[in-house]
Order: sequence, then structure tokens, then C-alpha cells
Amino acid sequence: MILASVELIGVFRWLYGLLVELGLEEPWLSVVIYGLLSVTIFGVLCLIALFLVWWERKIAGHMQQRFGPMRNGWHGWYQTVMDALKLLQKEDIRVDTRDRAVFFWAPVICFVAAFLAYIVIPFGDGLIVADLNIGILYVIAITTFTVISLLMAGWGSNNKYALLGGMRSAAQVVSYEVPMVASILTVIVFSGSLSMVDISNSQQGNFIFNWFIFRPPFGIIAFLTYITAATAEANRTPFDIPEAEQELVAGYNIEYSGMKFAMFFLAEFVNMFTVSAIATTLFLGGWHGPLLPSWLWFIIKTLAIVLLLMIFRWTFPRLRVDQLMEFAWKFLVPLTFANLILAGWMKYAGWYW
Amino acid sequence: MSKLKTQEFMVNMGPHHPSTHGVCRLMLTLDGEKVVKIVPVIGYLHRAIEKICENRTYAQCIPLLDRFEYVTSMSCEYVFADAVEKLAAIEVPERAQYLRVIMLELNRIASHLIFFGTTVMDIGALTPFLYGLRERELIMDLFEMTCGQRLTYNYITIGGVSHDIPPEFIPKCREAVKIIREKLKDYEGLFNENPIWLARTKNIGVLSAETAVAYGVSGPILRASGIKYDIRKNEPYGIYDRFDFNIPTYTHGDAYDRYMVRLDEIRESLKIITQALDGLPEGDIRKKVNPFTFKPPAGEIYNRIENSRGEMGVYLVSDGTTKPTRLKLRGGSYNHLQVLPHVAVGGLVADLVAIFATFDIIMPEVDR
Amino acid sequence: MVEAGVGIIFWILTFVIIVSALLVVTLKNIFHSALFLILCLFAVAGIFILLHAEFLAAAQVLIYVGAVSILIIFAIMLTSNMASKKIIQTNQNALVAFFACLMFLVVTLVLINKTGVWNYSTRNLPAENILTIGKLLMTDFMLPFEVVSVLMLAAMIGAIVLAREDKA
Repeated sequence: MILASVELIGVFRWLYGLLVELGLEEPWLSVVIYGLLSVTIFGVLCLIALFLVWWERKIAGHMQQRFGPMRNGWHGWYQTVMDALKLLQKEDIRVDTRDRAVFFWAPVICFVAAFLAYIVIPFGDGLIVADLNIGILYVIAITTFTVISLLMAGWGSNNKYALLGGMRSAAQVVSYEVPMVASILTVIVFSGSLSMVDISNSQQGNFIFNWFIFRPPFGIIAFLTYITAATAEANRTPFDIPEAEQELVAGYNIEYSGMKFAMFFLAEFVNMFTVSAIATTLFLGGWHGPLLPSWLWFIIKTLAIVLLLMIFRWTFPRLRVDQLMEFAWKFLVPLTFANLILAGWMKYAGWYW
Repeated sequence: MSKLKTQEFMVNMGPHHPSTHGVCRLMLTLDGEKVVKIVPVIGYLHRAIEKICENRTYAQCIPLLDRFEYVTSMSCEYVFADAVEKLAAIEVPERAQYLRVIMLELNRIASHLIFFGTTVMDIGALTPFLYGLRERELIMDLFEMTCGQRLTYNYITIGGVSHDIPPEFIPKCREAVKIIREKLKDYEGLFNENPIWLARTKNIGVLSAETAVAYGVSGPILRASGIKYDIRKNEPYGIYDRFDFNIPTYTHGDAYDRYMVRLDEIRESLKIITQALDGLPEGDIRKKVNPFTFKPPAGEIYNRIENSRGEMGVYLVSDGTTKPTRLKLRGGSYNHLQVLPHVAVGGLVADLVAIFATFDIIMPEVDR
Repeated sequence: MVEAGVGIIFWILTFVIIVSALLVVTLKNIFHSALFLILCLFAVAGIFILLHAEFLAAAQVLIYVGAVSILIIFAIMLTSNMASKKIIQTNQNALVAFFACLMFLVVTLVLINKTGVWNYSTRNLPAENILTIGKLLMTDFMLPFEVVSVLMLAAMIGAIVLAREDKA
């Protein structure tokens, strides 16, 4: 098989048995099971994205001395569902001078790329679609498609603001990928594996003190640099240059409306959840933790990181585009590489357990 | 080595752009992100206030002048009323003088709070905008309590003020002063030492003192460039010579200094308000002037005051009838918009936004 | 059945690679060419996965799709009028290119003919092929690895020197 191994749980195990009983054989068995898995993950992530939009609005509201959405349901809990439905019905305004194919495919690629990373993210003990042995590398590789979609959106809109936004995002994400990967590599040095499951498992036990974040100083430095770079990767304040409202009006998605805009918007929140989920897996022990069930631990930790990113967004001013680059190349890159080399040396010297 | 060239391109910033504070249009020529040329295009908000005033009686002019610079309407009213009073030699009652100072300073604080909110928002921090507006709300409540209006007050009239303050005004005002003084510490804690904020504003858009004087720059921007000039002190009008306050001055003339000057000015204004509240005498609030038949003697006058955006002036020509013959308004923003290209060319687009924000230009004052 | 599935995927990928590669060189709009280049490289990564070289596939996507292509697009966007419709985007030396390709094809065919019998490796792939790659890079192939690094460093310095603004 192409995909290394499948950990199926509960419903899927039962479904698997049922399908085998019905006489279904490989490869159709895999096709059906993976298809259902994809649909499930997609549905769950859409719900998470909608939840995050609502949550962000509530947090922003409460930080800003207001309530945020209050009308639809308890504290407006289904506000974003309604918003998404509204965006679905909206007229799809298309600029006449657009680059037709590019304009159409940009949100699609953005949306798809945002979800592809979840193939290897372990939501809990055994709750993973496929435990690829290149795990984390796969996530890093696949998320670069987001940049391409932003560039396509910038180009396809045939709008100067959009183009500037696209170019800025390209420069930013390519730059911040370097420190991000370097800080991820520190964790890989600790765990000795690229597989997300192995990385999680190597942080098991000893209450919570086996988490990689508790390996001073390298773990904590790697964590901080990762969070910084991840904020930039997710295009959030203080690194939200690509969509800097006050400079670029809205950046790459300025010409998009209706469902195409919603796709960018939801993908952004899925991306935020992705970087938080990776931070959880790499630094906060993944699904491991005392007492609570594994999937709950994972969700709690990830949402804690998301909360951190949201508080960043509503507190900090924005960096300028050249300062952003300087920060990446002159501060984060040397720091993460020094951290990586020292961590590797410590590991080689056998000072780490 | 031959120079690598990238394509220059034109971008219209505005008239509908989130950071031009209204309907200013800047035609930018960009080399990548670098601003090569700025051409401000004005006139989108031209309402011919000066001309319309020529067809109105003096009392009718005041509500219209509220729209001249609507963020600090009190100043617009004051500068006109003061000019007419000087022309007609009207003695304004003591209590009205004090009330005017209180209102002017409250309005100045409100304006600076808006400045704080919009500036930090333009530099990317969205939350403090609502903090600024939250404190401004206290002041708006005071105005509403006094004259029933929140933005265009029509409060300072020829000969005095239109309404006396209600009894609960003074305790409420003292409380507001206390709250704003407390919250200022929060703002400063959020930004004054914030590395991102410093990186975005320190040494950005440096306006030298010579250039500032040459372009007729006034108000907080001039003081940020190191020139200690405040009409309230240099040519005291009204009863400003009775109060003890400082003129905050900085030396670099960069965006950070312009921001700091305004925060400090809020403090000084709070001081003035406290003193004015302490010294508020009893008595009349207005010298009776018939709004329909009021005729100042023929003559002309230029009157100027220190507004939150610089020197606000009015040149008034009267021919002895009920309507002004000519009214010319001067707003600080007009000069500040002129000096903007001088300061912002060579920087990045993001710097331009920061500079525009710290210049605190509002377009009604430019276009009139 | 599984083998058949892999076969189908292989042919689909091959088709995508060839078509997109052709579109890269024939399309009028250079931005579209760059996008098809990305598609082509991505499909190559798919071939690597079929060959159980997941690490190589991920590296392919990360480096070529994630970095190189983006820089190409960046260059296109920044260079003046490169994508305007007035400029002829395609290669002017079609004839020369055709002959060059033909020669390459001939050489390849000759070499394939010479090989005669193809050797199939009977060894199984190591389960942890990343570990193996890492060890090989740090031992047997140390020198080429370092030479490539130096080359890239030189290229980077060259780019910085070219792009640096003259202070004088």
C-alpha cells in the first residue's frame, strides 16, 4: 500500500468489519474507508474552522470591551454557520479583467492545501488517518501550497493591491519557513523520528515533564521560535503583512466575494489550527497527558495555542515588511540554527535522556 | 555594476482607503514597496462652508462651522465666536469663559484619544482603537449632558455658551478626568516600550524643525519637531493665561515623538480642566445677543487658537450687516498634508501609513 | 489489484507530467507557465511516492514547489512588463530547441539500447529510508554534500551582491 499504516477506531473498525463481511476486497476496501475518513476529517475541520471564527470574534469582542456576536443562539454560537450560509448564497462577483483560470483555482488550492495536512496529524491515541514515516516533513511540504494559492489570487485578481499582498505573502512565508523548519528539526533531534505518532510517543510519561517544551533551554527556545514563525506562516498579527488592511486594503483576497472569499477565510482558520496542532504534537506531548482522554488533551492543548495566537492578534501592532524580513533572517534564523546545532551536540554527547 | 531596476507602478491610495481617515486620495508611485512620489488629491469633501457662511447670519454660521473640523467642533465654534466678540467688543461673562475652556480642553482630549485609537489601528493594533473610543465616550456623555449633542455641539455662541452645565456635570467630569488619567497609563504600558511599536515609529517620517516652519506646520507636529510654540501660551486667548500647564516638546520629529506629544498633551489638558473646575465661578453664562439683528461694526479680524491639530484661524470681514462679507478658515491639516510628501517619500508604504496617521490629518479641515 | 491501481496512478501522473511540461514551454502567458511547472514538479513528487521514496517526494515538494517555484513567480511579478500580452513569451529559437531535444533523445535511446539487460535490485527498501539517507549523506557522500552546500552559499552571496543597493 502507498500509505504506511492505518489506525482505525470505533466506528471505522466496525465499518471495516462490515465491509469485509459484505465481501469487499482491496483496493476498493481502502478506497471506501479512506473516502469516509476524508469526509469525516473534512467535516470536523469545517466545524472547527467555524468554531474558531466564532471564538476569535468573541475573544476580540471581550478584549475590546464589547460582546461580539450575541444574536444567534447562546452567545451567538451559530453566528458563523449563518455567515457561511449567507456567503454561499452571495453573488460571486468576478472582475472582468481577471485571469480566469487562475482566479478560479486560487481559492480551491488554498482550501484543499489547508486540509491536506490533517492526514498525518494525530488527534488522539490512534486517531490518525495515516502515520506516514515522513510525517512532519509532509505537513511542511504540503502547506507551501497555501503560498502558491495566495500568489495566484494576487495575480489572478489583476489588482495592484492584491498583487502586492500576494508578493508580500510569498516573501514572508518563504522566509519564515526556514526558522520554522529549523525549530521543528530541533524536536526531530530529540525524538529521532519524523513520524507524528513517534514524536508524540517519545514525550509520553513522567506526568507532563517529558514534553519537549520542558527540555530547557533548547526545547523552550524551539517552541518560542516555532510559535513566532507559525504566527507568520498563518499570516496573523504582528505578521499579517499580506493582508495589512491599512496598507493594502485587504491584500490578496480583495477581489474575492461570496463563497470564494469564504474559502480563503476558512482556510486561514484551518491553517491556524494546523500550526497549533503541530505545536501541540511537537512540543506539548501530542495527545499524551494524565487523566483525561487522549483526544480531549489534544483539543485542549491545541486550543490553548490558538488562544495564544488570538491574543497576539488583538494586542500587537504590525511589523513593517522589511523589519519582518530582518527579524526572520537576522534574528530567528541564526537563533534557531544555533539552537539546533547545540541540541544536536547535546544529544550526541548523550546529555539528554 | 549596472543597477537592477524593478517596475515602478502607480497606486491610488484612497479616496476609499481604510487609512486615509476620510476621503483623501494619494496618488502614489511605488518602486516595489518604496514610495517614490506622492501627489495628494484634495477636494472630495469640499462643502463650500466659507461661501455659505456669507449668506448666513453670524449666529447661523456656528452650526455650520461645527462641520468645519468635526472632531473638535468646540474649537471651530470658539474661534469664530471669539473673533466676532473681539470685533464687536463683547465682554463674555466669567463663568462662560471657564465653561469654554473646560469644553475646549475636553474636546482636545477627545480628539487626541481618537488620534491614539486610529494611529495604533493604522499600525496594526486593532484593540486600542476601542479603548480610545471608550474613554472618549465619557467626554461625549459630558457634552451630551450639557448641550444635548455628541458631535456637532452648537454650544459656544456669540457672547457666551448656549447652556449652563447640569449639577451632576462637575462630579462626572472629575471622575472622567480621573479615569482618563488612569487609562493613559494603560496606553503607555501597551505601546511606549513595545519593540514593535518602537520599530514602526522611531525615526520614521522625521520632520526637521526648519521644514516644519517653512511649511507652516503647527500644533503637536511642530512641537514634536522641537519648537516650543503653543498659541495658548505664546498668545494667550480667552483666560488661558490663568492656568498652569506645560507645553510638551520633543526633539526628533519622528512618528514616535508626534505620538508622545499628544499623549502628554492629554495630561496637560486634564490639568487645565481640573484647575478650571476648581476655579469655576457662579454667574451668567451668556451676554444676551439677538441672533437675528446682531451686527458687528464694519472691520476685519484674524483670530487664531490652538486646536488639537494645530493652528486654527478665522479671517473675518464685516461690513456692518447681519452677515459676514468674507470668512476664511485656516486649518492645520491643510499645511500638514502639504508637508506629507516631503516627509514620506523614500519610505515604505507602511511608513506612509504611520506618518499619515501621526500627522492626524482630517479631511474636512483640508477641504472645508 | 493493488499493482493495477498503482499502474493506473503511474500513467495518470506520467500524462500530467508530460502535458504540463509541454504547456510550460508553449504557453503564451509566462505566469501560467510557472504554474504548470509547479504542477509538473508536483506530479514528479507523486512518482517518487509510487517508488516508496516518500522523503524524496516531500523534499521535492518542499524545495521545488515551496521555494524555487515561488521565487520564479516572484521574479515574474517583479520584472517589468514580463507578463504583458504585447511581448512574445515563447522561445524564438524553436528550431534550435527542436534539434537539441532531438539530439538528447537520440543519445538517450542509444544509451538505453546499449544497456541491454536491465538489472533489478532485489534488495528490499529499508523501512526507515530517511535514517539511511541521513547516514549516507554524512558518511559516504560527505564531500558532494558539502560541495553542493558551498555552491549554494556562493550563489546566495552572488545574489546578495547583485541585488544590493549601491550605497555610494
